[in-house]
Amino acid sequence: MRNILVFMLIFSMNEAAELAIGSLMPEIGHQMIETNGKNLTLSDTRGEKGTLVIFSSNTCPWVIRWEDRYVSITESYSPKGIGVIAVNSNALLFDERESLDKMARHASDKDYNFPYVQDPGSRLAKAFGATKTPHIYLFDDNDRLVYRGAIDDDARDANSVEEHFLANAIEQLIDGRPIEKPTSKAIGCSIKFP
Amino acid sequence: MIRIILISFCLCIQSCAKVDLVPSTADEVMSKIKEFKGEKAVLLNIWALWCAPCVEEFPMIVDLRDEHHDIEVVFISADFDDQIEDVRSFLDQNGVRSTSYIKKEKDESFILGIHPDWTGSLPFTVVYAKDSGNIVDSWEGKHPESRFRTAIEIALKS
Repeated sequence: MRNILVFMLIFSMNEAAELAIGSLMPEIGHQMIETNGKNLTLSDTRGEKGTLVIFSSNTCPWVIRWEDRYVSITESYSPKGIGVIAVNSNALLFDERESLDKMARHASDKDYNFPYVQDPGSRLAKAFGATKTPHIYLFDDNDRLVYRGAIDDDARDANSVEEHFLANAIEQLIDGRPIEKPTSKAIGCSIKFP
Repeated sequence: MIRIILISFCLCIQSCAKVDLVPSTADEVMSKIKEFKGEKAVLLNIWALWCAPCVEEFPMIVDLRDEHHDIEVVFISADFDDQIEDVRSFLDQNGVRSTSYIKKEKDESFILGIHPDWTGSLPFTVVYAKDSGNIVDSWEGKHPESRFRTAIEIALKS
C-alpha cells in the first residue's frame, strides 16, 4: 500500500504536463475576452509565419520585469508575420486584481501593442499545461509548437541578457531553420486557477 | 536589577541576531541536502516574497519544522538580490534562525539543478527520504498541510 502511495506521490507532479514540442495548438477556437470586451480566439491572432502565446498577469513581479520585452518583440516580429497574444488565465482573481478593467489599464500603461485577453475558466492554460507567468509558447505556421519556456535569461534587465531564447527561436522560425533550443526554463508566478 | 539587565541583554542578542542568509547555486544547496542522508528527512521549499501563496504557506512549514526534530527544512528564496534585507526580515519575523539560502544564479540552471520536472512556478516543494535520501514527493504551488504531512510521514520511514 505504501509503495502505491509513494508511486502516486512521485508521479503526481506530472498531472498537468506542459504541451510537448510538435503538438498542435490546442483550444484554437476557445472564446476569450479582449480588454475592449470583444471575443477573441487563438485562431483570430494567428500570424502568417507563426503565433506567439504569452501567459501573463497584471501583477506578477516577474511579468512586470519582463513585459518591456513583450512590446519590443512584437514591434520587431509582428511586421514579419508573427501573431502575438497575451493571455491572462488567473481566473481565480478575475474579480480582483486581474479584472478586465485592470487589464485594460495595465495594457494601456505598458503600451501593449498586442491583444490582452482573459481566459475564462483558465481553459487555455490547462490545455497548454501552462503553470506560471510569464510562460511562452511559439507555434509555426502549421500551428505546431516549436518553442516553449522563457523570453530570455534575465528578467531584471534587458541589457544584461546573455541568451535571447525567444527572439532566437522566432528568427530561426522565420528563416525556416530548426529551433536550436526549443525549451527553456524560468521562475514565475503560479497561475491562479479557479 | 543585574538579572533584569542580563535577561534584557540576552533577549536583545536573540532578537537582534541576523538570519544567516547565504546566496547559493542549486548545486551548492543540493550538496548540503545530501549531507542529511541517513540522519534527517529534508523538506526543501523554494519561495519568494512577491509570491502570495509562498508567503501564505510559509508559517505552516515553520510549524511543521518545529514539530518534527528529525526533519531539516531548507528554504531557498528566489527573490531578486536587491531584496536581500527584506528577505532577511521576513525570515526573522517567521522564526527562521537556521541557515537559509537565496538564489544567486540564472533561472534555468537553478531550476534544472533543483528538479528537472520543475517548470519554475512558485512555491516549489521537494521532500527527501531520511534513510535513502531519495525524493518522496515534489509539487508546485500551494498545497494543503495534509500533503506535507503525508510526504513527511513517508520520508521518515524510507
